[in-house]
Amino acid sequence: MPPSEVVVETRNLTKVYRDFWGRRKVEALKALDLEIRRGEIFGLLGPNGSGKTTTMKLLLGLLFPTAGQALLFGRDATEVTKNERIGYLPEESYLYRFLNAEETLDFYGRLFNMPRTIRRQRVNELIELMGLGKARRRQLKEYSKGMVRRIGLAQALINDPELILLDEPTSGLDPIGTRQIKDLIIKLRDSGKTIILCSHLLADVQDVCDRIGILYQGELKELGRVDTLLTVREVTEIRASGLSEAAKEEIKQVIGRHQGQLVSMGNPTTTLEELFLGIIRHSEAHPGRRVRGVLPGQPNGDGAGKT
Amino acid sequence: MVIEDEILPFFQWLPTGLLHWLLIAGSLAVAALLIGWLIAALRHGPGAAVRMVSKTLSEAWADVIHMSGRRIWALAWLAVKESIRRWVVVVFGVFIVILLFAGFFLDPASTYPARLYLSFVLTSTMYLILLLALFLSTLSLPADIKSKTLHTVVTKPVRASEIVLGRMIGFALVGTGLLACMGVLSYIFVLRGLSHTHEISPGELQRLQASWEQQLAGGKSAPPVEIETETAHGHRHTFRADAIRRDGDRRELIPRGRVRTDVARGHWHEFSYTVPDGALRSDDPLALQYTMGPPEDRFVARVPIYGKLRFKDSSGEPVEAGVNVGSEWAYRSFIQGGTLAAAIWTFEGITPQRFPEDRFPEGLPVELTIEVFRTYKGDTSGEDIPPIHGSLIVRNPASGEQVEVRIFPAREFATDTQIIPRKLTRASDGRTFGLFEDFVHDGKLEVWVRCIEPAQYFGMAQADMYLRARDGWFAWNFVKGYLGIWLQMLLMIAFGVMFSTFLSGPVAILATLGALIGGMASRFMISLATGELPGGGPVEAFYRLLTQENLVSDLPEGFRSELMRMFDTVLQGYLRGMAEILPAFERFDYSTWVAYGFNISGDLLATRILTMLGFVLPVFLAGYFFLKLREVAR
Repeated sequence: MPPSEVVVETRNLTKVYRDFWGRRKVEALKALDLEIRRGEIFGLLGPNGSGKTTTMKLLLGLLFPTAGQALLFGRDATEVTKNERIGYLPEESYLYRFLNAEETLDFYGRLFNMPRTIRRQRVNELIELMGLGKARRRQLKEYSKGMVRRIGLAQALINDPELILLDEPTSGLDPIGTRQIKDLIIKLRDSGKTIILCSHLLADVQDVCDRIGILYQGELKELGRVDTLLTVREVTEIRASGLSEAAKEEIKQVIGRHQGQLVSMGNPTTTLEELFLGIIRHSEAHPGRRVRGVLPGQPNGDGAGKT
Repeated sequence: MVIEDEILPFFQWLPTGLLHWLLIAGSLAVAALLIGWLIAALRHGPGAAVRMVSKTLSEAWADVIHMSGRRIWALAWLAVKESIRRWVVVVFGVFIVILLFAGFFLDPASTYPARLYLSFVLTSTMYLILLLALFLSTLSLPADIKSKTLHTVVTKPVRASEIVLGRMIGFALVGTGLLACMGVLSYIFVLRGLSHTHEISPGELQRLQASWEQQLAGGKSAPPVEIETETAHGHRHTFRADAIRRDGDRRELIPRGRVRTDVARGHWHEFSYTVPDGALRSDDPLALQYTMGPPEDRFVARVPIYGKLRFKDSSGEPVEAGVNVGSEWAYRSFIQGGTLAAAIWTFEGITPQRFPEDRFPEGLPVELTIEVFRTYKGDTSGEDIPPIHGSLIVRNPASGEQVEVRIFPAREFATDTQIIPRKLTRASDGRTFGLFEDFVHDGKLEVWVRCIEPAQYFGMAQADMYLRARDGWFAWNFVKGYLGIWLQMLLMIAFGVMFSTFLSGPVAILATLGALIGGMASRFMISLATGELPGGGPVEAFYRLLTQENLVSDLPEGFRSELMRMFDTVLQGYLRGMAEILPAFERFDYSTWVAYGFNISGDLLATRILTMLGFVLPVFLAGYFFLKLREVAR
């Protein structure tokens, strides 16, 4: 598969939840069009009830679309064979608590029809990778939340998948564990895997994601590269080095005349959190409209400024 | 023991059974396709519905043929681990407690202790296992769906067919292991519970020795004295031990010997004696050493040879059935006493090779159960009501030659053993016949039973008389009894897993219980659906109940009765359908066979195993479709 090939594609993907009598209860996802390419880390963001979990479930075939189509590797998401190439970490690590780490990974390995020797080797690798060597024979019910998260991630990687769907991968982990998982995600991306990440921890998403999509009330409100989305275009940031003392002095004087202090020159970035909240605020104020430039200085933004 | 359905040889049953199954399964499949298409058509239109149905069918084909043994085994292993953690230990504990306290309510001194003990262990095992199967199979999948652990499983390349089959196999393995343990414990419990021996009092021993001394001394030749044992397990035995060898006038003591006691409570013992120094002293009871063996023939597995039954009425004319004596159970048909009415069994395959003289020196053993319907009690001056007598006759089906074997008292509520001697003498002319030479024609033998007391009736069914050619191995019969429970357990698991694919745990329990109860009532449902029962269909019967109308009189014609019949026709069709698709669980229950000492034939077992598979296969497919077509994450 070439690196630019589309791994996940949704076309007009719509999900309507109905009640027992078939009446429309809620439209959880509205005509989602999305493409995720091989080798990228894609973040799916949105507040509670925005449709991101529904999107994940539709991609995994846990739900059936009301309209439209979800394709993974060009196959329909309801096809069971597509699961051979994917790994999934659910939000709460839904695992059998009466099994120990070895049994858990061995069980999921068997579900991939892996031969015994390969299974054993893979189980050992993943247990070591997740730092669970000392707890490999303990039942999961004795694990801390962070340990359960790690074994959950290990089961998602048991088949060395091409596409990995991670729902809140760092939830419950301490800062060190969080850093390790984020490094692992980047390492997986670098080895050619495609990763879809769903998280409320915006800083984590900002750290690792190449592209993001922001959903609100079932609609895709923003989609693009993280660095592009977070760039404040009309603000200039200057960063300079190697200047002589005289030049520095001159710049200082210029800035000083304007009662300021120069740190750098160029385009500064805002935080993801700012962008996210701005989109939500804009969407509440203007329902049904695609968000454009909600931050000061962005195209179609309400305000602009220069530094 | 009652056998209401004729047991056909397996290969004779197979074509009919298979055709019946194909018709029912085919009808259900067509109905399921139509319903599926209708639902899809309502949502997406008729054309799209056709495409969806055909896509589902092609996926189903792929899901069935591409099932992986490794994945199925992994899921089965998971089910085993989960079951052991959840229920199995509890059920096994309950069973142990029941066995520990069974001594409080099981009386080894009862009339048929073996029957009591065997019925108890088989029945308690059956209920516990079915209860376990019910809870295991119905609660597991809904619990996984609720806890979302199934999400992690179905996002692996696991097919719905593998999930359903894996669960079924896993629960079946757990149940099988538990059933095997319970079976072994039950067997030990029954053997130990009924194990006993009898002592002989010093007085009785002295009496025995005195009798032998008297005979040795040349006293008058008298039959050996009857010795009575001490009481154990609420009964005694008697026996006669003849220890004197006679050679003309010479008499000699046989210093070692063995003799059988009489049969009491369904068993006998072996009395073995030794006279150590070859001499007897009547004043010393210790001069005779003896041992009384364990109970023998407590547990049997008779292999009966059944015949075809037909009847003759009071004037000697052939009739389809005997007399209906009123509200008696229709299983047996009655013949009037003191008339030409007779119940006639024709046995086939009766050959001297099948009944060799060395094994059957006295003749053909016939076992007979008779229900007596009395129009008067007779002489009630004594403690017991006198028995009604019958006559046992053998007849050559070709020549019509016949001879009365004996007049016998009917033993009500019990099975009586009669012997048809190899040599028979006719009382009227003193002529002697050979059984096989004169009464068996082409392997066929007719045995007639008549009631000889006027105005009294004998009730009989086909299975009430049989020839006992040989006995099977009891332990194997016991295992076959447990196989019956195993088959019921598999059915229960299949239905439970199927219902749990689309219902919540408690509702799945209710649905599975409904299938169990419906299956147990299937015979009644068929009777109701086919109008065999008096009182009409369900609606008409309910109307009669409310208006206190009797069951046999016709309802007045009119709109009301027409309307009721119309509803009944629909309901009867529904009942018929339900009776066909639900397994008749009681047909898999062999506890009566084992407890009453009848061998469970290979034909019966093979028929039931195939029947079980006939139910499990469509139930598995139904479970697969329900799971495949549901949204797991909703």
